[in-house]
Amino acid sequence: MKKRGIGLGCGWYGTGYGNGFPDVSSAFVEIHDDGSATVSTGAVDVGQGSSTVLAQIAAEELGLEPQDITVITGDTDTTPDSGTSAATRHTYNTGNAVLKAVREAKTRLLDYAAHEFSCTSAQGIELKEGGIGVIGDPSRRQPLADMVFQARLHGERFISAESSTARTTPVDRENGQGAPYWPYAFGAQVAEVEVDTETGLVQVLRIIAAHDVGRAINPTQVEGQIAGAVAQGVGYALMEEVELHEGVIKNPAFSSYLIPTALDVPNIQTIIVEEEEITGPYGAKGLGEPAMVPTLAAVINAVYDAVGVRITSLPATPEKILAALAEKERTFREGGMRQSIDS
Amino acid sequence: MNIELRVNEQDFRLVVEPDERLLDVLRERLGLIGTKEGCGEGECGACTILMDGKAVNSCLVLAAQAVGHELMTIEGVGDRLHPHPLQKSFVELGAVQCGFCTPGMILSAKALLDRNLQPSEEEIKEAMSGNLCRCTGYDKIVKAVQRAAEEVAR
Repeated sequence: MKKRGIGLGCGWYGTGYGNGFPDVSSAFVEIHDDGSATVSTGAVDVGQGSSTVLAQIAAEELGLEPQDITVITGDTDTTPDSGTSAATRHTYNTGNAVLKAVREAKTRLLDYAAHEFSCTSAQGIELKEGGIGVIGDPSRRQPLADMVFQARLHGERFISAESSTARTTPVDRENGQGAPYWPYAFGAQVAEVEVDTETGLVQVLRIIAAHDVGRAINPTQVEGQIAGAVAQGVGYALMEEVELHEGVIKNPAFSSYLIPTALDVPNIQTIIVEEEEITGPYGAKGLGEPAMVPTLAAVINAVYDAVGVRITSLPATPEKILAALAEKERTFREGGMRQSIDS
Repeated sequence: MNIELRVNEQDFRLVVEPDERLLDVLRERLGLIGTKEGCGEGECGACTILMDGKAVNSCLVLAAQAVGHELMTIEGVGDRLHPHPLQKSFVELGAVQCGFCTPGMILSAKALLDRNLQPSEEEIKEAMSGNLCRCTGYDKIVKAVQRAAEEVAR
């Protein structure tokens, strides 16, 4: 018989290296005389989309379009170290480094522009839609490229180098005090599953995933990260197990270590929660790893809701579910017998 | 051994080893590095190409076995200026993350759309189930194939 159930999973997750380990990202920025800008950083985009997000951050700050920004990454000859593409840290950590560097170059550009526009301070100068000008005065406004070109002729360049460090502390083992991670990510997911009581096979039909990302700098990428994490979570919950025998992996192939295919992945609905992280670039924080955390609990809870068995060791394979169902049946029958003897 | 291969509507005369895999000939002798090697044992689909319109794992085909067949790699599907509807929809919908599975995904999807212009979601998932992806959760990939199917049908 096929039985359906739903389950809820909630998770929070400390992002970054944490525990006082120095979590440093760095960036070089140059604003060019053709109205474009370059961001150089060691942060490697391995498909999670960091280069896109970093371009968006720089563009937003300079009043440009993301395609006006060249992001150079992962070259030890030319880019400053920004740590690993791990720990859900590039949007937050490297994003902060890029933002600081862009603001540094921008500050000098605005100071130069204030002088050119005969303003007493840079506060009245804005960068907008590829132009630079005095706020509220369309007559004192010109393309950014012209201003940077003029500056260059006068020997002024707008180049900066900045780094950003996430400050954490180890936890005090005596009293449990400390700030081991910053910031934290939060999420909740609901899973609907169908369990075949004959075969023990679980099919995840649907996942609704709500995640607090601080601010979704790129909503499409947020959805992609969540869907990817859900698929990995489904694999973690139901399929994936490294089998070891005397230290040797017994299943080092995709035919014996199964990961989800398009047929195993549920319908995924994402809900993006934007609760501003005030220390993050434009309020953003990371999402990569935390989106997988609630999936496991949601799926396992849904299995319990469907067939009333608690699976406490992952993955919840058909064998484990059938064994748990048989155990439940046995306990139920023995309980019934004892009851009839008692009466 | 001397062989002739027809790849992306072009003929190539090659000298290959009898046990040389088609995947290696495509990548190393013809420089068509869009085709990727994942597992090398026919499980992941990263090396998928089309052979007479059918999706095959090029790691499991010997170059000599491909003689006389029409081969298509990702380089033959479209380019930056003239992308195939599948390539366009993959980019527009964000179906590409790290990109390693993408050429194989596009070719499996193309094999499907070339024989079925109105595939159901289930048919798409079935057709793509030989191509593994660890980044996207397949969500946007399936949607991109659906959108491309609509465009091809139009």
